[in-house]
Amino acid sequence: MTVKEILESYEEITVEEQVLEGVLFFTLFEKKFLFFAPEKDDPSSMATVYLYDDNLLDFPHVMLRENSIIDGKYLPNGTYRWICLFEQESIVNTIVSYEDKIFDCVDRLIELLSMTSVEREREFQKEFMYYWNSESAGNNKVSVYLEQATQFTELDAFYGEKKVRLIQKGLNLSDIDDRDKSERKWTHHIENDVFYIPVTDSRGILPPHRGYQWTANEVQNIVYGKQIEHISDDTFQSIKSKVPKTQDVILVFGMRTDLSNVYFALKVKCKNSNNHTLLEKLLSDIVTLESLPTERKDYSYLCEQIGNDIGLLNKRILLIGAGSLGSYVAFELVKNGAKYLKIYDGDKFEEENVLRWAYGGIGKGSNKATTIQILLKLLHPEINIEVCDANISAHSLMEEISNKDLIIFTIGSSDEQIKLNSVLKRANCPIPAIFVWLEEGGTNSHILFVNYQMPGCFECLYTDSNGELVNNRARKNSSAATENNIIRNGCGGTRAAYGTAILLRTTAALLDVIRDYDEHKIMTNTLIDITPERITISDTEFPMEACNCCGDTGK
Amino acid sequence: MKLKREFADFYKEIRIDSETHALKEKREILEDDIKSKLPGILVDHNISISKTDIRMIDQGSYKYNTTIKDDIVDRDVAVMIPLDTSTNSDPRIIKGYLRDAINISPRTVAIKEPCVRASYYENGKEWLHIDLPLYATDGSCVYLARGKEFSNSYSWEDADPDGLNDYLCGQINGNDQLRRIICFIKKWRNEQYSGSTNDHEVPPSIGLTLLACDCFSAQSTIEGDDDLLSLQKTMKGILDKFTYTADSSGNLIKTITKYLPVTPYTDVFKKMKESSSYITTFYNRLSKAVDNLTNAVNVESAHDAGEYVQKVLGDSFTVPAKEAVAASAQNKREHSFG
Repeated sequence: MTVKEILESYEEITVEEQVLEGVLFFTLFEKKFLFFAPEKDDPSSMATVYLYDDNLLDFPHVMLRENSIIDGKYLPNGTYRWICLFEQESIVNTIVSYEDKIFDCVDRLIELLSMTSVEREREFQKEFMYYWNSESAGNNKVSVYLEQATQFTELDAFYGEKKVRLIQKGLNLSDIDDRDKSERKWTHHIENDVFYIPVTDSRGILPPHRGYQWTANEVQNIVYGKQIEHISDDTFQSIKSKVPKTQDVILVFGMRTDLSNVYFALKVKCKNSNNHTLLEKLLSDIVTLESLPTERKDYSYLCEQIGNDIGLLNKRILLIGAGSLGSYVAFELVKNGAKYLKIYDGDKFEEENVLRWAYGGIGKGSNKATTIQILLKLLHPEINIEVCDANISAHSLMEEISNKDLIIFTIGSSDEQIKLNSVLKRANCPIPAIFVWLEEGGTNSHILFVNYQMPGCFECLYTDSNGELVNNRARKNSSAATENNIIRNGCGGTRAAYGTAILLRTTAALLDVIRDYDEHKIMTNTLIDITPERITISDTEFPMEACNCCGDTGK
Repeated sequence: MKLKREFADFYKEIRIDSETHALKEKREILEDDIKSKLPGILVDHNISISKTDIRMIDQGSYKYNTTIKDDIVDRDVAVMIPLDTSTNSDPRIIKGYLRDAINISPRTVAIKEPCVRASYYENGKEWLHIDLPLYATDGSCVYLARGKEFSNSYSWEDADPDGLNDYLCGQINGNDQLRRIICFIKKWRNEQYSGSTNDHEVPPSIGLTLLACDCFSAQSTIEGDDDLLSLQKTMKGILDKFTYTADSSGNLIKTITKYLPVTPYTDVFKKMKESSSYITTFYNRLSKAVDNLTNAVNVESAHDAGEYVQKVLGDSFTVPAKEAVAASAQNKREHSFG
């Protein structure tokens, strides 16, 4: 079928002139559209539709901006507004036939134009931020940082070059005092009080769009709805009791629906009125509103957006060891939702290790923990990394466990691990420890989860059934294989040869173990073997009753 | 189960969970005005009551938690005062005193047959009215003040507002499906009678609520509550309550009667029966709704079922996509991310 035949198969459509091959005008529901068929020789192409010469239609997905043709060669003069009928990369176009692409496009257009008011509202809310930011004034993009989004709260405003940060009071951003030469990058502004208002019922709240601009009514409808209560009772009481110190205020609204999660700010210019509460101001003093282009930027929001493990957000993690494995672990912990780490390592980063260091060539010759701290802070200003550029002592370990939630060991030395394990067991350590190590040979690695309130500890792996100390029983590599993979570089210096695959594999398995612990799926102390083929609970005998540290003898 | 999600979305769309703060504040100010001003006005007319003698009780959908979105917020609050009804035999006069107590701008106050109504306007358009049925407690009896201000028809009617609240709360509380079905039926009524100008031609909420309680058919499967089937069976049950009666010309016409379950045990459809056409229209519209719902239950396609339900409940009920379209779209969806 030709494009024209397909379009004419719809009763609702009247095909008008064909402009070029595959490009023609049609009318549908008394509106005129320009239709571009997909390209026959490009299987990944799709059909496109523009609304012609209609500046008033305010349907969702009909773009706000129009393209004007004033001296058209092929297309008639007039305005053309693109209609977004497909979510980006939502369809594998190559597997759809040329004809079906046209049918699908027209079906979607008819569906769009046939939407009920409730469906239109849902679509507008899905695209809320597009409309809000398109209609917003000013060049200063507003970044919102919230610690929580469910309660009314006050924020501080910091202005930078072409950017504004609205930060929940009490939330510390590590770069807020940064300077560019002698100039502060961010200046605290106090001319507008800033308030965050969570919306609990979004019914009827639409973004500004063509023919519909926000006025005082929209704000008043949210904070003092007539039929629908859009905010919680707690929020209402806060608005009712709070007396702003400034004449004008900035409001940040947060609105969650099944389909979207939006945060938008607006500046509310008010009449001068002393001692009016925020509610009174909003109900009786508003002069004008100015919507501000807004993005929410806090760490917890970004984590939520990419599906991170929210359980990690408030965990304070002690990472002991910042070598090759530690560098990968630190980086991935932070990227997966852990914003607080304390790292111990006394070593310097040497150039020979650059290829298996998570951060490439940065920080050569510097302390490993300090380098990680500097680099991780660049990820996000809420990330809080503390470091100690020395190896951890028994005394420091005891101090650290009093205010941490989890310990992760990424050190290679068995002696150190046995010693620190013993310290933790003796202290009846209340938080879990995870020992992570690679075997020489670069093939196998292990993770040991230890809750010191239960049987089993790191020393069990070095203990036989008679209570005698032996070498690590979890080891899978033969001695010969190990020997072949050691590179000797004089004066007793050795380096085990392994690539980054084992580091990536082990780090991924560690993230799964932490998630399982958080979801209470790990009920006992557990040893995990990681090989290139699989990740399994180890068949190594564990725990050992005869262990001198945690077993019968130890007691 | 068909349309489970659509019914859930629809309920979320039409439902009013509680009073808004705007409404609550208006109601509380109104109640304060009644308590502070009515005793003085009554004393001026030799009726002695104190502020603490006045009792306010919630009534209507806000009490039963069956409120749905509408053009005008409609709130019912009963005002109960101790009164010797034999000495004060004209309820219109007492309703006048209540009107005088609250007739303060920005309210517009009017005496209606069963209540005093305080209306609130914004930009010339009414957005809220609070109906205040006035009850007199006289000894162990409670009476409702009936009659418009200048009507010759007036009376102190036996009443039991607490009993009615207890009855309906007992029926509805703890039965979420019944609550939803009541809301759906009220929404159907609003859709069907959106163009009505005469109050008496519209089936009253109390009547629909009582009938829904009587005819309610709980329906569920292992997938959860089946609101479509429950609504169809409940509305069919209500339809089956209609009986034939003969009009003045001897023609058989449909009618329905539902007595209040408490004093005064009157027929809640009495006003509608002032014109036989009102009841006939009610029957015809209900019958059409039941037909559409029955079709929705019987058709296989969720899309087709949705279209039938939309005819009953209006545009706020969303129709799911055609199955073939949905399946085709699903098959061609991008599942890979880079």
